[in-house]
Amino acid sequence: MTGGYILEQVANGIILGSMYALIAIGFSLIYGIVRLINFAHGDIVTIGAFAMLASVAAIGAPFPVSILIVLAVGAGVGVLIERVAFRPMRGAPQVTGFIASLAVAIIIENVGIMTLSAQPRSFIVPAYLSAFIRLGSLQVRAIDLAIVLLAILLMIALAAFVRFTKVGMAMRATAENYQVARLMGINIDRMIMLAFAIGSALAAVAGLMWGSKYSQISPLMGLIPGLKAFVAAVIGGVGSISGAMLGGYVLGLAEVLFVGLLPPEYSGYRNVFVFSTLIVILLVMPNGLLGRSTDERA
Amino acid sequence: MKTILAKVMAAAVGLLAVAPAAEAADPIKIVALYNLSAGGLASIDGPSLNGAKLKAKEINDAGGLLGGRTIEVTAIDTKNDLKDAATGAKRAVSMDGIVAGVGHSDTTFALASAPLFQDKGLPFVTSGATSPDLPDMVGGEMFLACFGDDVQAHAMAEYAYKTLGVHNIVIWTDNAMDYTKGLSKYFQDRFTQLGGKVLLNDIYMTDDKDFSALVSRLKANPDAQAVFASSGPDTAGIIIKQIREAGIKLPILGGDGYDTDLVSTVPGPDLSDDVYFTTHAYVGLDTGVANTFRTSYQKAYGNPPENAFAALGYDALGLVADAIKRAGSTDPAAVTKALNATTAYPAVTGDIAFKNGSRVPSKPVAIMYVDHAKVNLKSTVTP
Amino acid sequence: MGRRASWLGALVAAVTGAVLVYAASAALNPYLLSIIAFVGINVILAVSLNITNGFTGLFSLGHPAFMTIGGYVTAILILSPARKSHLLPDLPSWIAHRQWPFLASLLAGGLVATLVAVIVGFPVLRLRGHYLAVATLGLIFIIQGLAINLDGYTRGALGLNGLPELTNLWWIYGWMLLTLYVCWKLKHSSLGRTMLAIRENELAAACLGVRITRTRILAFALGAFFAGVAGGLWAHLVTLVTPSSFSFLFAFQLVVMVVLGGSGSITGAALAAAALTVATEALHPVEEALNLFGASQLLLAVAVLLVLIYRPKGLFGMAEPDLLAWIGKSPGRQPTHTGLKRQTEV
Repeated sequence: MTGGYILEQVANGIILGSMYALIAIGFSLIYGIVRLINFAHGDIVTIGAFAMLASVAAIGAPFPVSILIVLAVGAGVGVLIERVAFRPMRGAPQVTGFIASLAVAIIIENVGIMTLSAQPRSFIVPAYLSAFIRLGSLQVRAIDLAIVLLAILLMIALAAFVRFTKVGMAMRATAENYQVARLMGINIDRMIMLAFAIGSALAAVAGLMWGSKYSQISPLMGLIPGLKAFVAAVIGGVGSISGAMLGGYVLGLAEVLFVGLLPPEYSGYRNVFVFSTLIVILLVMPNGLLGRSTDERA
Repeated sequence: MKTILAKVMAAAVGLLAVAPAAEAADPIKIVALYNLSAGGLASIDGPSLNGAKLKAKEINDAGGLLGGRTIEVTAIDTKNDLKDAATGAKRAVSMDGIVAGVGHSDTTFALASAPLFQDKGLPFVTSGATSPDLPDMVGGEMFLACFGDDVQAHAMAEYAYKTLGVHNIVIWTDNAMDYTKGLSKYFQDRFTQLGGKVLLNDIYMTDDKDFSALVSRLKANPDAQAVFASSGPDTAGIIIKQIREAGIKLPILGGDGYDTDLVSTVPGPDLSDDVYFTTHAYVGLDTGVANTFRTSYQKAYGNPPENAFAALGYDALGLVADAIKRAGSTDPAAVTKALNATTAYPAVTGDIAFKNGSRVPSKPVAIMYVDHAKVNLKSTVTP
Repeated sequence: MGRRASWLGALVAAVTGAVLVYAASAALNPYLLSIIAFVGINVILAVSLNITNGFTGLFSLGHPAFMTIGGYVTAILILSPARKSHLLPDLPSWIAHRQWPFLASLLAGGLVATLVAVIVGFPVLRLRGHYLAVATLGLIFIIQGLAINLDGYTRGALGLNGLPELTNLWWIYGWMLLTLYVCWKLKHSSLGRTMLAIRENELAAACLGVRITRTRILAFALGAFFAGVAGGLWAHLVTLVTPSSFSFLFAFQLVVMVVLGGSGSITGAALAAAALTVATEALHPVEEALNLFGASQLLLAVAVLLVLIYRPKGLFGMAEPDLLAWIGKSPGRQPTHTGLKRQTEV
């Protein structure tokens, strides 16, 4: 187990973590504002990947432009889901919203299977992104680097938006106490829509990244990453954006290092490990690493 | 992709068209059970069903069986759910006039459906479930249209040892699929029997996308001359890509799970290289029945057969039809007897014969070689 | 209606059911019988999930995990020693040499599931709402992962096949009656009222001296017991149990049954379970005719959404509709001493 090997694993963990972080941020954004877990979030990842495929293959748009298209598509789908499934459930108990989002997830998955068939498809990135880049003793592909940089860029943009713009502040206010925010004249509906739009756009980009990294997409690909990103959000503290970022990287690293550092016989327990971690974290640190104890958890 | 509206209209038209035809002779009913709408098997079950339907259509167009009776294939979707496999099979065997069943490309699903056919004395021919233990586990009505995993794994082990000169190997196994576990086990048995050495047995699970740890462990074994990565169709391309991306040039060996164009498209032309896999002997044969099949499939469905499972579905149905013809009747017991007596059914995937009371055919195994994303037939091994 | 009359009504219903089961077993083809069997199993599952989710307000998605445990334990105990040694080499010898009868194995399956529920419940049930949901969801994956990887004990991904088909309509009917009886008794007992109290307002309940954690664990464990038994029944109906037999999707379907029927209503859960099982199955031929595989799940999900939007409390809310009054005569409508009609029981 050389230093080079460990470095490689850490690098892989960071790349995986970047994707989890983006998806987790979406969970936290939405949860922070409407206190509902959007189970369909993982499927937005899938939609993002397919949107990318459509954009590159069908329309022939260049890669950077496609990223923008994917962001737009993700935002659009998010807003649609909010309108259709979440808005009517407002005020209902948590369970109802959860089930509604599960129903939406199933609808999206089945529509995907019916229209696109369950066959996985390959997803080709432009040649300049497949090239290898040397970073010291580490050799990564350009796409991996692009993923990490894009993720960081988006996270910084989001953080700046939330902290420095008026709209961002309004969002934070709504998340903190939406009754009072409404009294202050903030348009709650719009804030919720915005949260869904941004969160879903990020998830869609994560789908793009996932497809680019593994070069294979299928209608059910987003389910497991979505669940794991939820674990990441919980680790960081659901409702906290910076918590989601941190949680994403922690989970990505933990998952890769678990498989990487333990002997091969344990590689099959990857998912067992991830979900056990979830339970342990919830028990030991009910608010996650950076969460605030604004609602009952334990 | 047709819109849903078009499908509804098509169904309505279909129903109208069928009505007058109901006066014709009794159709011969065969049921096809496949996972069509969910899960990782849909990518091989869908083409299998297409192949079966194509064969039925060809037979019907040529005049049907037993004096003009048409074959009617009813497709039942088992939704990647064992309960649906069992209830689907129950529904199938309760249908009036059913003669036989075909289906499934996975042993676990075959185990859920086939026993119900067994109980009713109806033959069940699996197109793609390759476990050689299936007939023993289910009973006398269970037949395979494909070779057993032991045959293909042994063929690969021999090829690797004797032809490629690989004496030290690393094995990767998907622990979540019984198919891959069986394949690795049979490979290891023969390989070590020949004198080869397995340096490392590594594990992953079907949904894993990240193989970096396994790749690093592979790199840490400098004596390895090849890696046998036993995998299903959904992970094969990803594995090849990640191994090659890490700069490892060792030959990658696999089983018929690699028989999908994802193996070429996912890694891409640069990385999809130096891969050997065993599959059913239709791929790559540019002559005779294989070619005819390919063109008919293309004509009927608008694209070439996605993988060898399309041919297997075609063959499974063809085998049943042939048995019905030889038995001269649709009595299930007679059909089973005729199946057992098959000596040389000219299937697209290689002649099927059930010798010595075995219900697993001894069929040739094709060894394919991937050269810069181009898949070519390297050799055919006949056990 | 007095106590005795309602007892009589229940007895009549049970006997009627028994007659129906007898008739069905004799007359119907195996396919229809298997559908009815699954209806029964789903009723057991939905009603037992109602104890956890409905009465006590815990949002548990863990039923499939307990079914897996129950299914495997039952199957392993029933297998003959010869098969056990062939398939499961790592089993400790005190299990490997025994072969138990069906009832004992089912009970064992249920009890092991309960044990796991209690062990897992102590830490996990401190969580609320979503967190509990996802933690129990995680439990499904954990149990699946263990079942796949511990193949010396469970035969891994292939699962255990060739199980004797011991489950028939009578077994399911019997267990269904038991489950309904237990749930009914529970709901109308002080323990049941405690659970409902916890669901309504936990703080107030705590102030009144309710032992919250203990009651929650009890509810969880009770639900797990029946889920384990149902898993055993399921395994010996399909004759196969594998790590992926009981998935997260199934958890969703069960929760849907409880929510659609009205969380807290036993009748509601039972009816919803029956209706949904039959509806999904009835849609299969339609799917096949139209070549639109996946449509039935889609329709189900859409239906769920619509119900949640327009009738969020489900069919019956928390009430138990007075069905027996319909079967009996009008005496069922008489008000009780306090002048309240029996219908409103919230």
